[in-house]
Amino acid sequence: MGKATVIPFGPQHPVLPEPLHLDLVVQDETVVDCLPQIGFVHRGLEKLVETRDYNQFIYVAERICGICAMGHSLGYAETVESLMDIEVPSRAEYLRVIWHELSRIHSHLLWLGLAADAFGFESMFMHCWRLRERILDIFEKTTGGRVILSVVRVGGVNRDIEDSELKVICQTLDGIKGEYQQIMDTLLTDMSVKNRTVGVGTLSHEQAVALSMVGPFARASQVNYDVRTFGKGAYRALTEFQPILDAQGDCYARVKVRCLEVLQSIDIIKELAAKIPAGDISVKVKGNPEEGARAANVLEQPRGECYYYAQGNGTKFLERMRMRTPTSQNLAGMVEALKGADLADVNMIILTIDPCISCTER
Amino acid sequence: MGFSTEFRTLAVQSLHEDAASRKDEGWRYVQMLAVNNDESVDLVYSYMKDGLLDNAVIEALPKDAEVPSITDLYLEAFVCENEIHDLFGITFKGLAIDFLGNFYRVSTDVPMTIISPEKLAEREKQRKLAEKKAKAEAAKQAKEAAVEGSSDASDVDPQAASADAELEAKLAAMPPEKAAKVRAAMEAKAAKAKKGTEGEGA
Repeated sequence: MGKATVIPFGPQHPVLPEPLHLDLVVQDETVVDCLPQIGFVHRGLEKLVETRDYNQFIYVAERICGICAMGHSLGYAETVESLMDIEVPSRAEYLRVIWHELSRIHSHLLWLGLAADAFGFESMFMHCWRLRERILDIFEKTTGGRVILSVVRVGGVNRDIEDSELKVICQTLDGIKGEYQQIMDTLLTDMSVKNRTVGVGTLSHEQAVALSMVGPFARASQVNYDVRTFGKGAYRALTEFQPILDAQGDCYARVKVRCLEVLQSIDIIKELAAKIPAGDISVKVKGNPEEGARAANVLEQPRGECYYYAQGNGTKFLERMRMRTPTSQNLAGMVEALKGADLADVNMIILTIDPCISCTER
Repeated sequence: MGFSTEFRTLAVQSLHEDAASRKDEGWRYVQMLAVNNDESVDLVYSYMKDGLLDNAVIEALPKDAEVPSITDLYLEAFVCENEIHDLFGITFKGLAIDFLGNFYRVSTDVPMTIISPEKLAEREKQRKLAEKKAKAEAAKQAKEAAVEGSSDASDVDPQAASADAELEAKLAAMPPEKAAKVRAAMEAKAAKAKKGTEGEGA
């Protein structure tokens, strides 16, 4: 083995859409250790809870990250509702999950496009983002926004989706599903993709469990953990929900799990659209969270479990609001996955982990 | 599988022992967070198993406290521990990956412990409201005592008593600020009426 050398990776790098710095300790061409560094875009959004009341803060929460905007507004609203014992109408719960699953599809397609681009598969990148545009069109039609949706409120949702519109959404998703299946089959069987991903950045099941990992990163190492199995909100109406797992724990497994999750989300939306009950979409919220009241909540974001905490102080402002995002939880796993990898595979490993730095730094 | 959350209080001396027993029992580490109080900081450690989200709260730590790190048990906690160190000023002893205060490039030291002018203004507003409420409460009690005194002397009109009770119920349902204004208006009206009666008597 040669002498150990530290190679800086990022914060500006062609495969990183957001700033993340890694100090890679390399011997010959093999990574033997890694030190991740974030903190380049920390915005202190949690502090804003002191100057935005609990209804206004939902708009701050969804601006934490453009990709996970819907999830953050939903997770925040659920936590405040738990804090104030608010029961949300059933129809609103269904609508929230439909938008949230659409958001998961849009996030995974965005990621798949970026990953394909990193493979050098530019036409695949364009196809993935073309399909993603159609999801954004659904958002625009149903909410008026394409990225920041602003449909969730404490106590329900701001907008309804007509049943006829839900039918159109299901038809659109059927159309997307056919095209997506072709893309997915190409991606998962392509030899050059396999060469770059199979057996690369492997993380064993034991390591993933020991590091409390979350999301597709964990599920690709056979960790059977998905917050959606708890059956919160409209997820309890699903006839069957099984997390998508893979045993290999390598980059290919992570690509595969995310690819299949897109199809799973389409099925969830179609099932809920068929079962959605009629009724109100929100309840009137009165009063303020009690002093000293605490609530904690988890939500399955596209990148995995996200934790939310809220504490009241008797006023309309919360005493504390906290979000622990999936990437924050998976940083230790990323370090483990990088150890022993070839230097040329580092970008592929980081991409298949799908880090979201905006969320992590809030 | 359902989902539930619980909060429990934990002594800082038992923190590491508690994390070790959680690890042995197969609990996942979920997160840790800090809450700033005026004179102290609370820490919340969260673990999960079988849909139960367990939150252990360590209350009222001094702002410059040193607490044991749990990264020897849960390496993934290094992110939260470095974050809490940089934003709240708590030091973690034995931190596996210690950024020594350089995890976040914050321009202000321990920014989350600073009480903002907006928060101070809100507190002042709440204090004034509470004062008004207390005054109104005292006035109400004095009035009730006066009514009781007069009822001892002479019979009170039952209709008037029930109207008073109804009015009190309405005032109780109002926001405190509005209720205080209504009470003040009523007191002024009563004082004016009393003055008028005295004048007639003279």
